[in-house]
Amino acid sequence: MQALRGVSFDLRAGEVHALLGENGAGKSTLIKIITGAHQPDGGTIEIDGRQIAHLTPAVAHQLGIACIYQQPALFPDLTVTENIGIRLEDTRPFACVKWTTRRQHAAELLQRIGADISPDAEVRSLSMPEQQLVEIACAIGAGARIVIMDEPTASLTQQEVGLLFAVVRELRQSGVGVIYISHRLEEIFELADRVTVLRDGETVGTRAVKCRTGFQPVAADSHEFAQTDDRQDACPTLTETELIRLMVGREVSNIYPPAESDAGDVVLSLKNLSCAAGGVKNVSLDLRAGEIVGLAGLIGAGRTELARVLFGITPADEGEMLLYGKLVTINSPQDAIAHGIGYVPEDRRRHGVILEMPIAHNVTMAIHRRLFPRIWIRSEAERSLTLEYINNLDVKTSGPAAAAGSLSGGNQQKIALARWLATKPKLLILDEPTQGVDVGAKSEIHKIIRRLAKEGLAVLMISSDLPEIVGMSDRVAVMRSGTIVEILPGGSDSHEVMAAALGQRKELNRRDAETRRTVT
Amino acid sequence: MNADKHRWKNILARHETILVILLVIEICYFQLAGIRFGTADNEANIVRHSVEIGLLALVMTPIILTGGIDLSVGSMLGLCAVLFGKFWRDAGMPPWLAGFCTIGIGAMCGGFNALLITRLRLPPLIVTLGTFSLFRGLAEAITRGVDAFTEFPDSFLSLGNGTIWGLPTQAWILLAVAIFVWLLVHRTTFGRSARAIGFSPEGARYAGLPVERRLATAYILAGVVVAIASLTYTSRLGTAKADAGFGYELLAITAVVLGGTSIFGGVGSVHGTLLGVAALAVLTNGLTRVPATMNMAGELSGVLTGVLLIVALAAGSLPKLIRLLRRRSRSKPA
Repeated sequence: MQALRGVSFDLRAGEVHALLGENGAGKSTLIKIITGAHQPDGGTIEIDGRQIAHLTPAVAHQLGIACIYQQPALFPDLTVTENIGIRLEDTRPFACVKWTTRRQHAAELLQRIGADISPDAEVRSLSMPEQQLVEIACAIGAGARIVIMDEPTASLTQQEVGLLFAVVRELRQSGVGVIYISHRLEEIFELADRVTVLRDGETVGTRAVKCRTGFQPVAADSHEFAQTDDRQDACPTLTETELIRLMVGREVSNIYPPAESDAGDVVLSLKNLSCAAGGVKNVSLDLRAGEIVGLAGLIGAGRTELARVLFGITPADEGEMLLYGKLVTINSPQDAIAHGIGYVPEDRRRHGVILEMPIAHNVTMAIHRRLFPRIWIRSEAERSLTLEYINNLDVKTSGPAAAAGSLSGGNQQKIALARWLATKPKLLILDEPTQGVDVGAKSEIHKIIRRLAKEGLAVLMISSDLPEIVGMSDRVAVMRSGTIVEILPGGSDSHEVMAAALGQRKELNRRDAETRRTVT
Repeated sequence: MNADKHRWKNILARHETILVILLVIEICYFQLAGIRFGTADNEANIVRHSVEIGLLALVMTPIILTGGIDLSVGSMLGLCAVLFGKFWRDAGMPPWLAGFCTIGIGAMCGGFNALLITRLRLPPLIVTLGTFSLFRGLAEAITRGVDAFTEFPDSFLSLGNGTIWGLPTQAWILLAVAIFVWLLVHRTTFGRSARAIGFSPEGARYAGLPVERRLATAYILAGVVVAIASLTYTSRLGTAKADAGFGYELLAITAVVLGGTSIFGGVGSVHGTLLGVAALAVLTNGLTRVPATMNMAGELSGVLTGVLLIVALAAGSLPKLIRLLRRRSRSKPA
């Protein structure tokens, strides 16, 4: 199979060039070619006008090409200084380590990118964006002039994104060319100068993003969200719709599917639910059949922890759970399944599916007892059930025997979803259901979720993607420090949600939104 | 596409092919160079001597599939053998009753491993390293290191030395356990869960699989089968001493890994394990039949077992190695 054919891409010094495309469009292959990990079959690569005949990882490193991945590849038990030292210093086996210069150098680099990180901090103690900053410091220290960032914001909170963007802007100003890959369109509009769209291994087009007048400082607070819409208007060259059209080659309704269902009976009712080990305190919430409840909040607010309590991974130690009005205790995932609760976890690759196993095995994993009551595996029943879900959810695969790991992110997510749909749940908890999923698949997953709710399923959806939370949910429950602080109606303003998540006072936040509305 | 579809199955199939080839080479060589290798007598001999290792390797397979390991099986065999002797001689039980009690002891030993692994969440390597010493120590304490149980009745000795329908008696036990374990691993939800746990214990937990129960089953099953192996062992030799089954755990693990089961869990098969046992058994026996190696068969079999293991495992990754070398030589001139 040909991953790329006839791709043209150019990067100028001092620009942020976004690379966009659905999963499987060839972004990663292109990156692998640029970093020298893969060899192209044809075509040329020029850097500074000089043609590079044979780009190997070592050569790419010498030429100043650095790649920062979504999951920073640092040694968690070493300090920042040590990590930077390992990357940049002499690699001879018995070279002497000069600790003072090493530390000084690290501190200098961190300062240059404006990162407020102690060089002596253990990497384990750093947050994800801080680790990314360390990676960037390494890249700068190695004299990188081309920095590739592969979905750097996928697991960051909105605040952390602001921090990262500031650094990217600084890189741009110092003349570094940045190749920026992201699925979040609003980031592209906010950050990129130009954008190149790939589809099916070909370049569909390169567009200038905006007429930038100057760099706007990014405030690390809730005002950030307001800016997206304004900027789009100020940008006549490219619209979000056009970008999506370029990506998928067809019109995708970017609008979230409308709510069609009426909330029915209360399926699960939580009363002062707490779990000390999971950091969940006093959560009270009703989940109704046919209703999508969005669970918003910053990372660490206890959203995933609440889901883990409901699913019995870290059982609750106080409070009550009422399922259809009847008191239940859920001490293990098996209990949760028996009570009709399904959980599509956040970390798809580690928890959602088992990558090495065939799709069919993954799909039936939660229903062993029902599908194979006499413990014997019934391959035919398994196969037909899997095929049913493959068709139903439109999974793109060669068949039920294909390994789950061979699928793209969006299709893996559909398999994770299929596993829980197969249990015929009454309540489905979705944790970041569209994280790392391309635009086309994202909209498909949204439609599926809506359809499920319409069929009478109660859905609890955790998401860090605010437009998604606001667009999809019938109600939005906002969590902060382990408890639900506010429940807002669906379609609320994103900043109201964010303000609640940040803990700003209610009245203040209302007034704030009021003024903003009159300004625009 | 098709290659991708059954990739790990293909690797396995290829590995088993390699094993069959190695086994055929072994047999051909010993047939030509050995003295009285292919006689019915010697064949029965090979089977008799490989039953205990075979039983241990069979029940080690699901454990390794879960990503675990059981280092205590050899010591457990010793403890079971000694206790069987105690039950029969000192408690005055008839052999069949003593046998059943021994199986109960085996289940308890396996259960003890399982308890520590699932309840205290200790790594199987550490737990079974501990019980490896513990069980052997108990066996030695019971016999004070010198006591040996002998003069078992003929009815019991026939288990290790008699034949049924032309096959050594204990071969039927091996066959029955092999079929049982094969069905368990390849045809039931237990085997499916074991693989899932081996690939990703957290992933299996999030899928609602009863991870602890599955692990416990695997270790308890090992205990039961080890107890059975201690009976055939005692019967075959006619004595039960505290050093029974010394070093068997490593032979069993060698056979499992030789059979293509990944030590990291998830991938592997019971038929592969059986082929691994056969390859080891034929090698060990064959060396005693070839005049040139007859005098140092013990030493040589150790060396050649290592060679066999490396050859069998390296052969599987040969294509990868060739590709790597080719790429190196290509990128060098640049």
